Amino acid sequence: MNEEQIKQLIAAYVDGELTGDEKDLVENSIADSKKWQTYYQELTGLNKILDDCPQESLSPDKEMDIRSRLTQETNREDKTMNTKSNTMKIGITGGAFVIITAFCLMILPEYQKEIPQLTKSIAGGKTDEGRIDYKEKAVLKDKGESVSESDMSQGADLELMSQPELRREFAKEAKLMSQKRTRSFEVASTSHLAVAPASEMYAEDFAYRVDAQLHYEPTRDFNTEAYNRIYENEFKSVVDEALSTFSIDVDTASYSNVRRFLTQGQFPIADSVRIEELINYFSYQYPQPEGDKPFSVSIDGAVCPWNTDHQLVRIGLQGKTLLAEEIPLSNLVFLLDVSGSMNSPNKLPLLKSALKMLVNQLSANEKVAIVVYAGAAGVVLESTPGDDKQKIIAALDQLQAGGSTAGGEGIKLAYKIAKNNLIVGGNNRVILATDGDFNIGASSDAEMERLIEEKRKDGIFLTVLGFGMGNYKDSKMEIIADKGNGNYFYIDTEREAKKVLVEELGSTLFTIAKDVKIQVEFNPAKVKAFRLLGYENRILAHQDFNDDTKDAGEIGAGHTVTVLYEIVPADSQEQFQDVDDLKYQKQQIVESDDIMTVKLRYKNPDEDTSQLIEQVITEKDIAKELSGDFQFAASVAEFGMILRGSEFKADATYTHVIQLAEQSKGEDKFGYRAEFIELVKKAQGLDTRSADGAIQFKGQ
Amino acid sequence: MDVNLNTHKTDEDLMGAIKMGDKTALEEIFGRYKSRIFRFAFSMLRNRADAEDSTGDVFLSIYRKRHTFNTGASFSPWIYAISRNRCLNMIRKKKKIFFMSLFGTHTGGGKASVDIPDDRSTPSEEMEKKEQIQHVRLAIERLPYEQREAITLRQYHGFTYDDISRILECSLEKVKILIYRAKEQLRRDLASYIREESL
Repeated sequence: MNEEQIKQLIAAYVDGELTGDEKDLVENSIADSKKWQTYYQELTGLNKILDDCPQESLSPDKEMDIRSRLTQETNREDKTMNTKSNTMKIGITGGAFVIITAFCLMILPEYQKEIPQLTKSIAGGKTDEGRIDYKEKAVLKDKGESVSESDMSQGADLELMSQPELRREFAKEAKLMSQKRTRSFEVASTSHLAVAPASEMYAEDFAYRVDAQLHYEPTRDFNTEAYNRIYENEFKSVVDEALSTFSIDVDTASYSNVRRFLTQGQFPIADSVRIEELINYFSYQYPQPEGDKPFSVSIDGAVCPWNTDHQLVRIGLQGKTLLAEEIPLSNLVFLLDVSGSMNSPNKLPLLKSALKMLVNQLSANEKVAIVVYAGAAGVVLESTPGDDKQKIIAALDQLQAGGSTAGGEGIKLAYKIAKNNLIVGGNNRVILATDGDFNIGASSDAEMERLIEEKRKDGIFLTVLGFGMGNYKDSKMEIIADKGNGNYFYIDTEREAKKVLVEELGSTLFTIAKDVKIQVEFNPAKVKAFRLLGYENRILAHQDFNDDTKDAGEIGAGHTVTVLYEIVPADSQEQFQDVDDLKYQKQQIVESDDIMTVKLRYKNPDEDTSQLIEQVITEKDIAKELSGDFQFAASVAEFGMILRGSEFKADATYTHVIQLAEQSKGEDKFGYRAEFIELVKKAQGLDTRSADGAIQFKGQ
Repeated sequence: MDVNLNTHKTDEDLMGAIKMGDKTALEEIFGRYKSRIFRFAFSMLRNRADAEDSTGDVFLSIYRKRHTFNTGASFSPWIYAISRNRCLNMIRKKKKIFFMSLFGTHTGGGKASVDIPDDRSTPSEEMEKKEQIQHVRLAIERLPYEQREAITLRQYHGFTYDDISRILECSLEKVKILIYRAKEQLRRDLASYIREESL
């Protein structure tokens, strides 16, 4: 009998499953051998731990639900009524009433004046004060008056609006009726209904021009912030181009940056808004990967909230969450910008505080070194064990800002120290903290990028932490992090520092899959056109997907990556095809029920050959309505599009975003989602753009 | 019919009554098994919304398939087998497991996420306990499907290996191996907690 077999028997013995000979054998083994005794104790210990873990319970609401389903089944009642929403009944009859009314009103134009009366009576008494033109609203906000959000529906009424069939009906009716606003009884309209698609009265629907942006500066101070221009992804006709290829991205800096703008009372610059980073800032629940896989892939779909003729498809990646034992040892070198520009309270002091939080998490077998650069570069702390916290913190405390920045020397030095203290299989990383004012001095940008790329091959990764404002060179930092197989975060508050360096420590610092690429192929029989939301800076050439020499993004432990596609169903009347049909080649469509095939390539952190994952989704995978995390992610995307003034935002509005987000806020353990909702409200108040894209000046 | 009488009946007796159209018996069965079936579905589907749907489906199935229950057979493995099949169906249908749950037990992060104390306070026992629970859940969630089925049925639903082999429709030998492998994996993942236990 070999060891394995004995272990199996002991496992069964602990569960009380053995009898007779086998039982005796095990009891003897345990008595005779220390090894087996230990194993036995471990298993009983495991049982205890498993038992101590409380289990989920069925919520009383759901319990009632199921009971009523059972009752219906046994009584063979008509299944259309849901005991929970009585408003649905009112909704259907009310809806029918409005539709009939609308129809009558259409053919009897002289009655159109009566519409306010009718809707008022349907609304059950809500007066005209409640209904404010959005244009007015923007101006009112500007003047500092508060506009009551009584437009927003509460509680049970929201349920009605979550019935997409009814919503579609209303959307159609809104179009039909010449009256600009309809109020559907007690339920305040979601703004995307009340504000009918007719563009002349849709205050927030305008084409955003960068030219207007660059030239508008009436009240903003001069600063040297710089952002890469983002050319928004457009709708692509599947017939012309069926593939979508891009690199994943887990950076979240854009969200903290946007937050920074808004909390300071400034409307964010369009190019600072990277939609994928807004979405990825939040954590979503996707299942853990099973077995050896570094991440799991989830794909689902639902109706698109800002354009109900379209659908949204969500691809969610969940990086493996590591247990404490599994997080590899860290060999960290902090490379800190201590130039004069880092002097403000939201820079160097915040940085020190953030790093102390990080150091607190380290163990004796890990190492920390500190290199600074300003004027000259120098080692402030040699590579030191992680448990000598006093020494490390003392070194951090001594840091003072002064001089101008010489980044190039600093980086070389930092990488040298990292390499000298390399932990094989560990997390070897340079953490660059700066406000981006990266005067290289003798070296050029390109040379530094080359250096970083080279060091990457030694297995040393790079994380960039951005601080402060004014001199914040977002574009440069994003590129540097990209080249260094690293990630990039913008830290504007202590709370953000805690999130990045404590709560999400493992994912910030530990890569579990690198060069992760996605390629999607759409089926023209099902999808007419598609649009990838965000990731404009990450687009790859289609042939790069299979090319392992082409670099792509990393996934850290516990990271989630969420990708949204807006798709136009094949039966839509919209036109997208730019290119004429080919004369000499006919497209042959392969029979399939698939909507799309999603392929992913990734490499294990220490390998150079990629692996492939493939997954399809069909119409059955598209839900009728959004809910939960998917809905929240969609609300964030919608917000991003409004901020950018996207030409594709269709019926997106702030109020709608707030409503979607509040419905799907969920547990919100750390309050990040609640914070998001506050930011949306702030943005709504700060948004002085008007319908034709011109900026309204205060006082006009 | 006086509902109270039902509380003294065995599950098998109740099934007999359900076969004859007794609605209160169905009520009683529901009351007895709703939590367990939900927990099992949640362990397998790892998603509250799906688990809720699945649970509802199971009880509907019980009613619709009442005539397929053999009087004389054991009820508990039967309902679990139905539950298991419902879960598998759900997974096959969706091809992927969607996560649209509003009530999370897991959050992202390198370490299973709990409020990590700053250097001014020491972790209270409660916080350590929370962290341990998170880890345990995570470790179980990561087990391959069949192993997770087997260990859940044993550990949290108290079935014998014999009953488990009936629910999973496989050999007893296979059940032993599944549980052994699951325990091996969990033992490794939760080693530090086990060490503490045995101190």
